[in-house]
Amino acid sequence: MLSTPAAGRRLRPVMQDLGRLLREPWLLISILLIFAMLGIFIILPLIKVVDMSVASDGSPFEIYTNLFKSWYMRRAFTNSLLMGALSALTSVVVGFILAYTVTRVNIPFKRLIDMIAIIPIISPPFVSSLSILLLFGNNGLITYNLFGIRNFPIYGIRGLLLAQTVTFFPVAYLSLKGVLEAINPALEDAAFDLGASRWTVFRKITLPLAVPGIASAMLVVFIESLADFGNPLVLAGSAFPTLAVQAYLQITGMYDLPGGAALAVTLLIPSITAFVLQKYWVSRKSYVTVSGKPTRSTVKAVGPVMRWVLFGFAMAICVIVLGFYGVIVVGAFSKAWGFDYGFTLRNFTYVLDVGFETILDTLTVAVTSTPISGLIGMFIAFLVVRKRFLGRSAMEFTSMLSFALPGTVIGIGYILAFNQRPFLLTGTLTILVANFVFRYVPVGIQNGIAALHQIDPGIEEAATNLGANSQTVFRRITLPLISPAFFSGLVFAFVRAMTAISAAIFLVSADWNLMTVQILNQVGSGRLGAAAAFSLLLVGIIVVAIIVIRLIVDRLFGVRFETRF
Amino acid sequence: MKRSILVVAVLLVLSLAVSASANTLTVYSSVDEENARALLNAFTQSTGIDVRFVFLSSGPALARMEAEKNNPQADVWLGAPSENHVLAKDRGLTQPYMSPNAAALDAKFYDPEGYWTSFYMNPMGVAIHTGWAERAGIEMPESWYDLLKPEFRGEIQMPTPQSSGTAYNLVASMVLAWGEDEAFDYLKELHKNIQSYTQSGTAPSQAVAIGQAGVAIQFTPAFLKLMDEGYPLKLIFPKEGVGYEAPAVSIIKGAPNIEAAQALVDWLISVEGQNKLSELKTYFFPVHPEASTGEGLPAFSDIPTIDYDALWAGDNREYLVNKWIDEVLRGQ
Repeated sequence: MLSTPAAGRRLRPVMQDLGRLLREPWLLISILLIFAMLGIFIILPLIKVVDMSVASDGSPFEIYTNLFKSWYMRRAFTNSLLMGALSALTSVVVGFILAYTVTRVNIPFKRLIDMIAIIPIISPPFVSSLSILLLFGNNGLITYNLFGIRNFPIYGIRGLLLAQTVTFFPVAYLSLKGVLEAINPALEDAAFDLGASRWTVFRKITLPLAVPGIASAMLVVFIESLADFGNPLVLAGSAFPTLAVQAYLQITGMYDLPGGAALAVTLLIPSITAFVLQKYWVSRKSYVTVSGKPTRSTVKAVGPVMRWVLFGFAMAICVIVLGFYGVIVVGAFSKAWGFDYGFTLRNFTYVLDVGFETILDTLTVAVTSTPISGLIGMFIAFLVVRKRFLGRSAMEFTSMLSFALPGTVIGIGYILAFNQRPFLLTGTLTILVANFVFRYVPVGIQNGIAALHQIDPGIEEAATNLGANSQTVFRRITLPLISPAFFSGLVFAFVRAMTAISAAIFLVSADWNLMTVQILNQVGSGRLGAAAAFSLLLVGIIVVAIIVIRLIVDRLFGVRFETRF
Repeated sequence: MKRSILVVAVLLVLSLAVSASANTLTVYSSVDEENARALLNAFTQSTGIDVRFVFLSSGPALARMEAEKNNPQADVWLGAPSENHVLAKDRGLTQPYMSPNAAALDAKFYDPEGYWTSFYMNPMGVAIHTGWAERAGIEMPESWYDLLKPEFRGEIQMPTPQSSGTAYNLVASMVLAWGEDEAFDYLKELHKNIQSYTQSGTAPSQAVAIGQAGVAIQFTPAFLKLMDEGYPLKLIFPKEGVGYEAPAVSIIKGAPNIEAAQALVDWLISVEGQNKLSELKTYFFPVHPEASTGEGLPAFSDIPTIDYDALWAGDNREYLVNKWIDEVLRGQ
């Protein structure tokens, strides 16, 4: 059960907390250190961007009023909201049906479906939009070659919605699967025993219990889709402008840094609103109770017809996902992707020749940022849940904030904030590592907080009573207990360090380049096969890394657990 | 906890320590990765100067130079059309250098004060997917006006001038050659046949290569590259004439390695450097009158071109792009 901070605690004198901290200098130092890092790597860049967007000669909001005088930018704003809302809806519908099927329905190939459903999370940018064109475009495998449709309107909202759904439904699926697993089936069984029909049980028990989880998943997808610019860049065209893309284009196409900053700041409004809703309203309404592993009783949940309908739906999703990746695999080994499918390895020789250093750079960045991100994530979760100090909720909010910040904002903020003393970081490995650590640490924190809430603090208190100080407790007790959350935090950090591009594109340098940026360049200069080969290598590296991370975490803590990320 | 903080601290310090070394030339390249690598390797072989580079298209490169104004990280900005270098000059991001080799070039290829120097050219082209053209029974277009025929409806991709210098070049060239009214009348008619305006200046070539679009309009290098890879494309230069870009090189203000930067500018516009454009199969046209165009490319003089005025184009950019958004795009 969530242990809400009792009102009485807040009233306790701050001095008492401080006194406790002073007895543990290491704890105090590390709290101050975390605050300093959050200030430097999240708040400072944000301030720089906002400052850039209002720093003009006239009135402070001149840039904003000028931008939104244009009907085009106003349309971009409404389009962004529309797109975010629609993709949140479709992703959550698909994610919920899949999650329900996997947790409540007795069907074959569950493990396989579960695996395939999360593949799009590791998808490299841009290439997935290309595979959409190859599958559903004018000359598409499915639209043209299968159904003979030549003019399927893939550009604009339809194609984009399709792409966003495929990209983001796994996010919804993962969190809803957790939610549905956590609902004790005994409740549903009891209703069945009392004679309720399947539909009644679903409508009156399962769905209401899942509603907070559904709302939360929708808001998360809304935020991510709002900030995404890989898919819209390729699929929306200029007929369907969106804010994230326009912010990027204002900088890269109109060479207008303040204007781009202003658009990005505008994007913050819906994004932070959704974030605050998710964090302080929806997640407080969670009815989920966890006590040990849920026992499964899924036989009665759906009838035989529905069972096969759901199975068919799950299979269809799997086929689409596999189709997406199949197209990339084919592209990587083809002489001319989309035209001449003769087998060749030349794309890989080219990629290894041109991009070998970039691959090493990317690995260095990912391998450096992953443990830092994982540890900081778990440590902040530990501080936020288990310790009391002044500014604790500020720490939580700030550390989670970067999740709501669009990558473009962070990228611009970083080059503005870190190009002069005392923070002279442009062109270094540090700026890339810091970007990935602080941009993707919220997921680790979130997992860590959730995990800690489910662990009785009594175990840690026992250790403290036996004389262990905070650092020993964290290292010997807490971290091993929440190692599944630690693992998922590490995996997420690694995946994003390998696949994220929107902020990184502003931060790469002659010394430190990234594979995603290379993929964009290859797509840009017409080497589609090379882009596919790069993407395939990227996915391969991620899969190997997940296995390695798992082995390391297993070895460190000697516990086995289910893969969840 | 102590140990984990130590690990974090050590990693952060380590990553700080591995930073840029001096004495090698650092280049922000808006020339694509492969061609930049080939050209700069040839430069290193010829002069012994080591070069490091990163690919950044015009926008990110300008944004980067602007953000790094107080502490320049690079010496040279290589590539991107000359009007963007005019912009960099106006914003005080670059410094003048008049290469002795520039005297051999046409005056339109360098800034009179020496802030930038063009070192290659690309004409605008129209590519048609031959498989599609056969299936649909399309006659190869010869004129810009042929592209207005109904059989091209929903089959043409071009970049949008909002984000792409390529598309702006197309719009500005047409205005220069035909006058504003005729150019915009044409673009409004063409709009009916457009499948999508892409954000990137090179995206139409991919779409036409895989048959997503029947026709693509952009600068020629990616078309030539794709044709070389085996894609079924036919490249056309409409008879009324096409615009062209003349990508330039600038030395960044405060460049740490100024002599090496000047050596690169000298080399790029020397006959040796210009001949490398064709030897290395860049698909770029040389600006030096004595350099050879090489095989596979038509002679530049055989292409009907529209003379382009980079300064005029730069000054009228905002006006023309906004007019395009309001009059052409709004029709959608």
